[in-house]
Amino acid sequence: MYNDRLVLIFIIGGFFISPVIMEWVSEGGTAWYRPYLAWISIIAIVAWITRSRDLDGF
Amino acid sequence: MVFSLSHLFFFGFGYLVLLFLIADMTERGYIPAKIVRHPIVYVLSIGVYASAWAIYGSVGFAYQYGYNFLTYYLGLAGAFLLAPIFLGPVLRLSQTYQLGSLADLLAYRYRSKWAGSLVTIIMLLGVMPLLALQIQAVADSVHILNQETTPATFAQVFVLFMLMFAVLFGARHFPGREKHEGLVMAIAFESLVKLILIGVIAWFSVYEVFGSFDELEDWLADRPQALDLLYTPLDHGPWRSLILAFFSAAVVMPHVYHMAFTENLNPRALITASWGVPLYLFFCALAVPLILWAALKVQAPTDPEYFTLGLAIATQSPKLAMVIFVAGISAASGIMIVTTLALASMVQNHLVLPLYQPSAKQNIYSWLLWTRRILIATILAISYLFYQALDGAHDLSELGLLAFVATLQFTPGLMGVMFWPGGNKNGFIAGLSVGFFIWLFGMLLPVLASVEALGLSIFDLGFSPTVDNWQGPAMLATLLNSIIFVVVSIFTKQSPAEKAAAATCIVDNLRRPYRWEISVRSVKEFTAQLAQPLGSSTAKREVELALQDLSMSMEETRPFSLRRLRDRVETNLSGLLGPSVAQEIIDQYLPYKTHTEQTGSEDIHFIENRLEEYRNKLTGLAGELDHLRRFHRQILHDLPMGVCSLGHDNEILGWNKSIENLTGISANEIMGSNINEIDDPWRQLIVDFVDGDTLHHQQKEIEINGISHWISLHKAAVDHEAEPGADTSTETAESDEAKSDSTVLSQSPPAIRGRLVVVIEDVTEIQLLEAKLTHSERLASIGRLAAGVAHEIGNPITGIDCLAQELRAESKDTEVSSVAEQILGQTKRVSRIVQSLMTFSRSGVHSQQEYIAVDLTACIQESIDLVLLAPNANELIFKNHCSNHLYALGDSQRLMQVFINLLTNARDASALGDTISITDSCTEQMVSIHFIDHGCGIPKNVQEEIFEPFVTTKDPGKGTGLGLALAYSIVKDHYGKISITSPLNPPVTKENKPQMSDNSSDTMGTSGNQGTKVTINLPRCYPENQGSSS
Repeated sequence: MYNDRLVLIFIIGGFFISPVIMEWVSEGGTAWYRPYLAWISIIAIVAWITRSRDLDGF
Repeated sequence: MVFSLSHLFFFGFGYLVLLFLIADMTERGYIPAKIVRHPIVYVLSIGVYASAWAIYGSVGFAYQYGYNFLTYYLGLAGAFLLAPIFLGPVLRLSQTYQLGSLADLLAYRYRSKWAGSLVTIIMLLGVMPLLALQIQAVADSVHILNQETTPATFAQVFVLFMLMFAVLFGARHFPGREKHEGLVMAIAFESLVKLILIGVIAWFSVYEVFGSFDELEDWLADRPQALDLLYTPLDHGPWRSLILAFFSAAVVMPHVYHMAFTENLNPRALITASWGVPLYLFFCALAVPLILWAALKVQAPTDPEYFTLGLAIATQSPKLAMVIFVAGISAASGIMIVTTLALASMVQNHLVLPLYQPSAKQNIYSWLLWTRRILIATILAISYLFYQALDGAHDLSELGLLAFVATLQFTPGLMGVMFWPGGNKNGFIAGLSVGFFIWLFGMLLPVLASVEALGLSIFDLGFSPTVDNWQGPAMLATLLNSIIFVVVSIFTKQSPAEKAAAATCIVDNLRRPYRWEISVRSVKEFTAQLAQPLGSSTAKREVELALQDLSMSMEETRPFSLRRLRDRVETNLSGLLGPSVAQEIIDQYLPYKTHTEQTGSEDIHFIENRLEEYRNKLTGLAGELDHLRRFHRQILHDLPMGVCSLGHDNEILGWNKSIENLTGISANEIMGSNINEIDDPWRQLIVDFVDGDTLHHQQKEIEINGISHWISLHKAAVDHEAEPGADTSTETAESDEAKSDSTVLSQSPPAIRGRLVVVIEDVTEIQLLEAKLTHSERLASIGRLAAGVAHEIGNPITGIDCLAQELRAESKDTEVSSVAEQILGQTKRVSRIVQSLMTFSRSGVHSQQEYIAVDLTACIQESIDLVLLAPNANELIFKNHCSNHLYALGDSQRLMQVFINLLTNARDASALGDTISITDSCTEQMVSIHFIDHGCGIPKNVQEEIFEPFVTTKDPGKGTGLGLALAYSIVKDHYGKISITSPLNPPVTKENKPQMSDNSSDTMGTSGNQGTKVTINLPRCYPENQGSSS
């Protein structure tokens, strides 16, 4: 019941793509805001996933 | 640019007073609950995490370690992004079991007060650097802006203000489990102010220092070293370890736990927080590089960790300086207040109460309140002393890291709470102790060793943990902690209580609570038992609160409900005194009877309730199985037979719809009761059957509301193998035996008897039908016998009669003639009886096709005339009041037979001179004729069977008991109905005394003049329509 498949996919996906993101951030140069772009994208995805979900047990 | 102290006091403490006002307005209800409980307020209240480190330390951290500064924000953001699997279970546990702090949670899970105490001690030591950091940040900011005041002076005043606020809004009254809405609102406001002020500083940095974003871009392009500051440390920096430390802070840091779980006013707000908190932290983090570059551009004259203030000083902007100062005060005050409250609660529950508990005579609530206030003051005093001892010798980031690494040691145990039920208290305590000692000797003491006043120079290892080298001791402590936790847990045993708690806490596990029998039997006994440790008023209040939570009444005695009440009281006491003390009190004063006979006796009713709650969340195979379960349960529920299932201790576990209808006892009121507690006659019936040896009980008669019912009962042992959680290896043999030999049930001693299912069937209708059938058979036999006897007697009687006539005719002797006369009289009597029998036996064989319209009034008159021929009949008055033109389809001779019978009965029942009336009352379809006498009436008990053959109340020889039976039969053949009303209403007076009927004249003889009315209803017809029956 607590096995939120989307969240698990999110964690595993994050684990595999984190080196790519780090490399992309490091090569940013003057685009210093790259980590923030990645961050805000993840927030948007989570907000979209949880837009109508119910929290188990509540 | 130098600010006067009064200026700083005015802004700093003016802001704190504003916080007081907001908290006070919330407590007084001036701010609507809709706002207070809004998810955004919850998100902002978690913003307490962004402490003074976020205002000052982060910029310095970014200066030294580049983008590693982001880990402080990303760690917590990650935890909230994973809220459904990481924070949701903790929130559920903390709310369900009133676990107000991490120490409560761990002590509850590992069922050990030692675990709670150890966690509290480590937390207390671990969080001190974080509190010192806040005081240091505020004091240093004052010193930077004022240049003259010693930081310690302002620090003292700041700490005093914190004490006042914490006591007023965190410990003003002790509601036990109510949330501190004022505190939540004040902290949310503080986070909002912080966010706005950070935004203002960022705006100033970009637009006042650089001019625009484009100019910032150009500045960065011209100075690549400024960008290298951010990127270079990322390649080899400790960002992964830092993220882990800050990730776990979401649960292990006392201030975050307190706001996210303990003070959560709306559990569903956690869903919003899963993206809201990361978004809040995103904006906080976004400002950091902008402030850093702005400070570098204007060459801020301060340490990098106070670049924010340096920016204001370098740009000679007093307004910005005040904004930064207030933002710093805001950030530091929030964390100080919340952390102190959380620590005070932990120390009270896990250090004070296990050592000393107030006596039952004291007011416990007041004692707890004052103890908490004293603890708040003590903790703030210690944090101030800690700050003074460090004397500003360490960076804010170093102090912060010290605290985060200390609390990181709780992570292995926390993972055990949620994901590993095998972890036990031995493993947890051993692992935590090792991790703590490594942190203590590897990090804390080396930091303190540099303080000469403390005399700890022997711990000076020539190593002071900084952001560069902290990883060694921190990771060693965490790794060893985890390994020892796992290894010791594997090689040591868990107690049953710990196993049960582990099952409760584990994620994705449906708990199967045991149905243990509790030692008390009523709510009053509950209160009396709890009064021993808590005092009567506290015990009464706690029991009332628990009853209110569960919507139960004071009269509750069901074991099922008492178990729920026990759990609820323990949960509520846990919120009051902590789980260790609550468990100790409950186990001592409200113990379960025994745990030895509980195999395979889970609380099915409770599990069903839980499954109902999860109904919409079950998917896949679980959903299919639940669907199947519901289907089978519905079958059982709708079965047209009563089904009651009983536990080994006779507790009622099942009660279906049919048994509800049969007994009139609803499932809601009886489920969970002992079978001995249901009302008679059911109690006696079921208990006798359950305790008896037989497996079936056919047609047992019981009386319900004065009416007899016949009930069949069957029972069967429920196969233990099929029960959830049953130990199949040890019970299979027993179950097989039970299946093969039903007598096993009766031979088993009650103590080891398993569950029973009792099927109850109401066979009253079948029983009545059987009786009726038997009766009809008997009557038919009598009829046949009577016809045979009449025929056989008739012949000799005819001979006797002829001989007697001859004897009378030929004999001259008067004596002989007299004897012959008597013989003739007797033979006539015998002939009359025989004729009646023959008539009765022939009844029902007449053809209804021969019916014609019969003038009933004329028939009645003719019948009266015939009856008047009898001796003494003239001394009675027959009055025929029937109106003319009363017609019914029928056989006039047979109807006259009925009327003559009724009139004869009335004559026999009446005294000389009485009046017998015949009246009518008609409708369009029916004719009703009433034969009214004023005799003695018919007793009620005889009325029920008066129309049955051979039922007579006359003296032997005076009546055959066939008259009314014959009348009934004839009227029925005419599609009519015959009924009797007796006594008449109003009772008969002597003056108008009338009389009565057939077979009951004798019974009336002694019972006074009551009168009888015999009514015959016949379908009416009209002569012109006589061809058609109505």
